[in-house]
Amino acid sequence: MSKKNDYDPSEIQKRMGMKAKNRISNTVIYVVLVIMSIVWLIPFFCIVFQSFRVESTWMAGYVFPQKWGFDNYINLAKTDFWKWYTNTFIIAVVVAALQTVIVLCMSYTLSRFRFKIRKGLMKFMLVLGLFPGMLTMIILYRVLKDLGMTQANAVPGLILVYIASSGMGYYVSKGFFDTVPKTLDEAARIDGATRAQVLWKIILPMAKPIVIYTILTAFMGPWGDFVFARYISMNTSAGMNVAVGLQSWLSLDQINNRYTMFCAGGVVVAIPVTILFLCLQKYYVEGVTGGAVKG
Amino acid sequence: MANYSDLEYLRLSKGQRFAYKLGHFFTSIPSAIGRLFANIGRGIGKGVKGIGKSLGDIGSTFRNGDGITKGSFVIMGLGNLARGQILRGILFLLFEIVFIFYMVTTGAYWLSMLPSLGHQGPAQEYNPIYDTYVTTYHDNSFKILLYGVLTIFFIIAFIYTWRVNLRQAKINQEMREKGLRIKSGKDDLRSLVDESFYKTLLALPLTGIIIFTVLPIVFMILVAFTNYDGTHDGYFNSLFSWVGLENFNTMLSWEGGGNVYSATFGEVLTWTLIWAFFATFSNYFLGMFVAMMINKKGIKFKKGWRTILVLTIAIPQFISLLYVSKMFAKNGIVNGFLMDMGWIQTALPFFEKAAWARITVILINIWIGIPYLMLIVTGILMNIPADLYESAKIDGASGWKQFTKITLPYMLFITGPYLVTQFTGNMNNFNVIFLLTGGGPTNPNASGASGSVGYTDLLVTWLFKITTGAESKYYLASVVGILIFVVVALITLIVYNLLPSVKNEEDFQ
Amino acid sequence: MKKVLAIVLALVMVFGLAACGNGGGNTTPQNNTADDKPLAGTYKIKVWAAENNQDLTKKQIDDFNKTNDMGIVIEATVEPVSEADAGTNMITDIEAGPDIYWFAQDQFARLVNAGALDKLGTGASKTVAEANDPGVVAAGSINGQLWAYPATSDNGYFMYYDKSVVPEADVKSLEKIIADCEAAKKYFAFEAQTSAWYLASWFFGTGCKSEWEMDNDGKYTGVKDDFNSANGLIAAKGMYKLVSSPFHLSSSKGAEFESGAAVVVTGMWDYDVVQKILGDNMGVAELPSFEVDGKQYHLGSFNGCKLVGVKPQTDPKKGAALHQLAQYLTDYDRQMERFNTLSWGPANLKAQSDDKVKANPGLATLFAQNAYSQPQGQIHGSWWDIGKVIADDVKASGGTEEGLKKALQNYQDKIDALFAMSEEEKNAWTVIGAVAGSNWDKDFEMKKEGENVWKSVDKFDLKAGDEFKCRQGKNWDVSIGNGGDNYKVEADGTYTIVLTLSGDSGTITLEK
Repeated sequence: MSKKNDYDPSEIQKRMGMKAKNRISNTVIYVVLVIMSIVWLIPFFCIVFQSFRVESTWMAGYVFPQKWGFDNYINLAKTDFWKWYTNTFIIAVVVAALQTVIVLCMSYTLSRFRFKIRKGLMKFMLVLGLFPGMLTMIILYRVLKDLGMTQANAVPGLILVYIASSGMGYYVSKGFFDTVPKTLDEAARIDGATRAQVLWKIILPMAKPIVIYTILTAFMGPWGDFVFARYISMNTSAGMNVAVGLQSWLSLDQINNRYTMFCAGGVVVAIPVTILFLCLQKYYVEGVTGGAVKG
Repeated sequence: MANYSDLEYLRLSKGQRFAYKLGHFFTSIPSAIGRLFANIGRGIGKGVKGIGKSLGDIGSTFRNGDGITKGSFVIMGLGNLARGQILRGILFLLFEIVFIFYMVTTGAYWLSMLPSLGHQGPAQEYNPIYDTYVTTYHDNSFKILLYGVLTIFFIIAFIYTWRVNLRQAKINQEMREKGLRIKSGKDDLRSLVDESFYKTLLALPLTGIIIFTVLPIVFMILVAFTNYDGTHDGYFNSLFSWVGLENFNTMLSWEGGGNVYSATFGEVLTWTLIWAFFATFSNYFLGMFVAMMINKKGIKFKKGWRTILVLTIAIPQFISLLYVSKMFAKNGIVNGFLMDMGWIQTALPFFEKAAWARITVILINIWIGIPYLMLIVTGILMNIPADLYESAKIDGASGWKQFTKITLPYMLFITGPYLVTQFTGNMNNFNVIFLLTGGGPTNPNASGASGSVGYTDLLVTWLFKITTGAESKYYLASVVGILIFVVVALITLIVYNLLPSVKNEEDFQ
Repeated sequence: MKKVLAIVLALVMVFGLAACGNGGGNTTPQNNTADDKPLAGTYKIKVWAAENNQDLTKKQIDDFNKTNDMGIVIEATVEPVSEADAGTNMITDIEAGPDIYWFAQDQFARLVNAGALDKLGTGASKTVAEANDPGVVAAGSINGQLWAYPATSDNGYFMYYDKSVVPEADVKSLEKIIADCEAAKKYFAFEAQTSAWYLASWFFGTGCKSEWEMDNDGKYTGVKDDFNSANGLIAAKGMYKLVSSPFHLSSSKGAEFESGAAVVVTGMWDYDVVQKILGDNMGVAELPSFEVDGKQYHLGSFNGCKLVGVKPQTDPKKGAALHQLAQYLTDYDRQMERFNTLSWGPANLKAQSDDKVKANPGLATLFAQNAYSQPQGQIHGSWWDIGKVIADDVKASGGTEEGLKKALQNYQDKIDALFAMSEEEKNAWTVIGAVAGSNWDKDFEMKKEGENVWKSVDKFDLKAGDEFKCRQGKNWDVSIGNGGDNYKVEADGTYTIVLTLSGDSGTITLEK
């Protein structure tokens, strides 16, 4: 990355005297970065430490466990944790797949086609997006309930709600498609390709960063949803996602027995998301800069 | 506000130029709003004209239509079926049958109940045989409202389809008269992957949006005009009914008993805006700063620094933020550390006092926001044309000058729309506030308003608190939701009208 | 080339609608056996109990199936929902809610108002009322009618302390405890700032009361609240002593002992945790006294309890079977069993006098504190929100008499506003007279049906000669009958009463 990145005035710095100044400023930057890293990592490590604490199971006022062990992780298996984990994983995978398809359909269409209601449609969706999502929680619950998709069946219900409105998140990837030259499409059209073929054979292979970006964000979303998912699962353990399940361990009657397990569960949740994110970070950056801000 | 010509403008000093620009920003707000209303007015005018035209067209279709076209007024799809478009004809006909079936079986009932939202609530009766009470439930206001709205949607869809059916009958008739070939079902299907490919692509996403976004929003807007709450849930305790504008009156009127609500609303709105402003710009500038530090030539382990920061994105917020809020508690490890070091004698009131709590949440929000911004800014910095810097260097511009003359303007230009979405996103940033402070510390002035409002509550957390609060005043939650929309929409519209970079999407292609 | 899309879309909606039509069916008993066992049958039900009470509840339901002689077989799913959350969760969706559930007393009124509780039958009422502590029975009743089964009477709070910081000699005095804590740089945890339930302790200590009145349907009609009084001011002064201390912590978690607390005011549910943390240093005591103007005031408390509720049923048989089960779950033996396994303090009078119960140090302290406590009664849901800000207000006042008075005044304004009617309600018309068995002592609602037309909500069986009037705002300032006289009914019949206004006067007509 740094190779492309030569905006800073290296030429000028070659002059005598500047070198020393540069060294000082670099040292300052290192100090700042080290301090920042510590600040950023403290909560992370504290949570990990708590999860290895064996001597007590409630919230403790100290950071380092007196006795280390894997008890909390082992005990997770005795609860519904893995059920919640599986639920969330299923939701995340299905949502990632379907949401990506929908977002791509939507953004490609709005970027490439010029049809009568296009502008109106975009404005309409912009307006819809300005309503707070929290507002419609009650009614979505009732609709899903009438469809039999709440409580123990909350998983399909949540998938449905997550993907149903995902078309409105077309903005970032539309920005990306806007940067792909239209001449490519036109050339292919002249060669006799249908619109569908153009999308499938020409545009999609070029859109790898944005596809991965969309998958990544769609996959990460369901892991952290604890408000809406809680409403939909309505205290039924079988329908909870991992966030709702873990939150239930913080209620008054459970926190004293489950707090360290809560931390352990949190660490287990963070692992796949972290790995995925670190591996695909490059695409995240490309996607978001290529799309969100039309670089 | 004076208007300067280009030449006059160039003669101004830097400060004057800034003042001039700033002044113009604000003086253009009224005209932007004016334009907005003019646009809305024009839109309505267009709509009315369109309906008028449509009616005229329907009339002429009937007058000029042959038997088949006239028949299409009653039997949908006749104009297609009789002229060889079997696929379309069947779809039209099927839709009509389903519509009529639905309306006769249930739709008419929901529609007829909609004005009253139900007549009879539940009743309890003592059963002496079992020595127990038996409850009989009757009308369900909630379902009446929900299915009433759905039925109206359905009717609109029907009218639209009916209209399309007429237009097609007319076109088919004209084409037959002129002896042209009428498109077959096969043609239709082929066109769906080619020139009408967009219809195929949009069908699924739009269906989802209509059912799971538009319908719920319409429903919740209507709820704001009822008295739907925990003790009028429409089925189990008592029915709810229409109350007109009373709820808006409660929330916004400045006199009488509504006072608590309007004062609370004003206070929460003000804080929401302050919060959104600081949360957005502190992250923006600090994120940019961090990105530039990491990207600076000569700094090693670039990837390592980024990875450390990015770790915080990967841990779900409900875990990390809950822990952070515990860290800053009165007896949390931050205060404990400071006291052990002897730097303070008594605990700092991070979440205890209004001003402290507000500053603390803004600071912690930086902790959350910087990694995102850093990633984005890194990407943009790579895209700034290198020759801009080259020529600047030749001119002998200092690092600071390069930043203010090249980097910053470029960034601001590119990220303008992103800033707007960030701002509105922060106005609705539920997680950070809810998990860190739960809205606290409590605000004694607002205690009479439903939902126990605190000093760090945003409108959206207030909405949540009203919904789940002691009295479950759903109607007030709805009002708050609508008001959030109004505020956010106004801000977005004004800024979008003033920003250059969003106006022309084609410019970037 | 038109809009196949529109059709597809509409079709999807239709199928959506069709799918929406299916409501959930009720389980009905499967077999009807002989008449001597009218309740015999298998019932599928859902139960909510706190996580730690889950297994015991399952076991007790099994026991019920084995021992009941009515042929009732209960197939129950027991879901873990804490007593504190049950109310909110239940109200969110009563239909999906449990048939039988445990809940903390503070949610009682909300649940009654929401239609989520089924009244007890006459027989059950009598048995339950006689067997249990009157305070707890009152907690589950409205104007003498029981709506839920008393299950525990241990939902109160008392003081845990660290003997190594606070000497036993000091525990009776708030001032001394605060001084000990400050000297040791340890926290005094008392959740005054975020919970009205704890905060009320100060006001009860000086003899203040907050009593709420309800009609028979559980709707609030008024309140007798004297927090804003001379005694209230004393309470506020006492409270200021604690909340102004830098070592006051607004929390009620037993685990705070590990985070620098030396005193925590909480309840029985934290007993085990505190004991594990403090070991031999654990002390339990009644709440202390505070001194204002040379006089001692012992802190009061709320004497709360846990109740078991039954959801209203449409099937009388199922309802009766559920009530049998609920009564079983809260009888003497079950309460004792719960005490033995979970240390939950019983509400049953016989169980309360059991020696083992009396010997439990936590419960003994709680029952001692009960001498200063007030039964929780039926408190308006909004009170919890309005009450809890007093402490913040008191803290911000700086302790000046004026500031404290302002804090109390603010509280009272908010309480008064709860019963303030909107303009529209104030100006509503009602029917009053010798109608429907009443004798000029009850207002019957009317509904506005047009600009100048009001109609009675109910229909009345009127006899010729019955007299009534319509009045505005439930007072006699403005009333209309036959002009200024009472309206006289001319012929028997069932009528809707219609009032048509014109300016200051109006006419009454009867509609069949």
